[in-house]
Amino acid sequence: MEAAAGREGSSLELPNLLSLLTHFTHNEAWRRVLEEGKWADVLFTWAVVLFLAVFFRLASRRRALMPGRLQNVAEYVVQSLHDFIVGVMGPQGEPYVPFLGSLFIYILAMNLWGLVPGLKSPTVNLNTTLSMGLTVFLYVQWTGIRRLGVVGYLDHMAGEPRDLIGWAMVPLMLPLHLIGELAKPVSLSCRLFGNIFGEDILLAVFTGLGITLLQLVHVPYGGIPLQLPFIFLAMLTSVVQALIFTLLSTIYIFLMLPHEQHEGGGAGPAHARAARPESA
Amino acid sequence: MDLSAALGLALPLGVGLAAVGSGLAIGIMGRGAMEAMGRQPEAIGKIQVAMIIGLGMAEALTIYAFVNVFVLQKFLAH
Repeated sequence: MEAAAGREGSSLELPNLLSLLTHFTHNEAWRRVLEEGKWADVLFTWAVVLFLAVFFRLASRRRALMPGRLQNVAEYVVQSLHDFIVGVMGPQGEPYVPFLGSLFIYILAMNLWGLVPGLKSPTVNLNTTLSMGLTVFLYVQWTGIRRLGVVGYLDHMAGEPRDLIGWAMVPLMLPLHLIGELAKPVSLSCRLFGNIFGEDILLAVFTGLGITLLQLVHVPYGGIPLQLPFIFLAMLTSVVQALIFTLLSTIYIFLMLPHEQHEGGGAGPAHARAARPESA
Repeated sequence: MDLSAALGLALPLGVGLAAVGSGLAIGIMGRGAMEAMGRQPEAIGKIQVAMIIGLGMAEALTIYAFVNVFVLQKFLAH
């Protein structure tokens, strides 16, 4: 069992179906591609997408006015996400609900995927979370340029100078906003990656501990499930991190959209207040 | 002091220091949430959601230090 667990450097992982496959067939080429080339995570990503596609296709196959159980679950999920995002952004958030809702369902499914024995969370890999962080970042900038125009976007980046003090502070506000914008995908991706990766390592270490405990009393196979409380903790962390990713993406889009009130001096404190969610 | 010794001293210390800050943040946020919940028991659901989101943000800073350990771990060669 411990021999089949992945060991890259010293990061311990629970074995999954693909690592068991490469271990028991002793195929060096597959191991190099799947483990070191990280294609195992990509394959698990495709598996998640396939699962979600099949689930929601089955749920929407016969759209009855009195929904069956599967359609009810899907409708509940979609309705909750819609209410949540419109609750944060107001009615102007309607066009962004599909993207943000899909982001939440995708991240939640990927996080919970690793808790099923034999499967592995693709979000354990920094590349997966960084790709989502960069997508959100590019989408936010694209939304800004599309809704505000290029001049309005640069104006927003410069802190919306309206009076002399505003214009004098542009050399300060412009780099500050740029760095803040660049810090967003980094913080989004590292937060999700760190949380799920940490939980995965915790599960692997405690599983190994349970096996080692039984080996100390000379029982050759099996182990005490010491990782059981951490599986519940991992379920909570998965949901919370998916929610945080989606909520922060919603807030970033909301901040990029044109604000309603624009007093000259009022824009300064509003931007200072808005800069705080960007820094974490 | 070679690199392994320096990292072996600094990495756990860094995570511990980050955890101190996060612990303080979570405590202050939890206190505010508990007081608000006691003041208005019908808003407990909304306050709980906001508190959980705040906990996730505060925990993220310790996670950054934790991730650093795994990034720098390859220099801890024996």
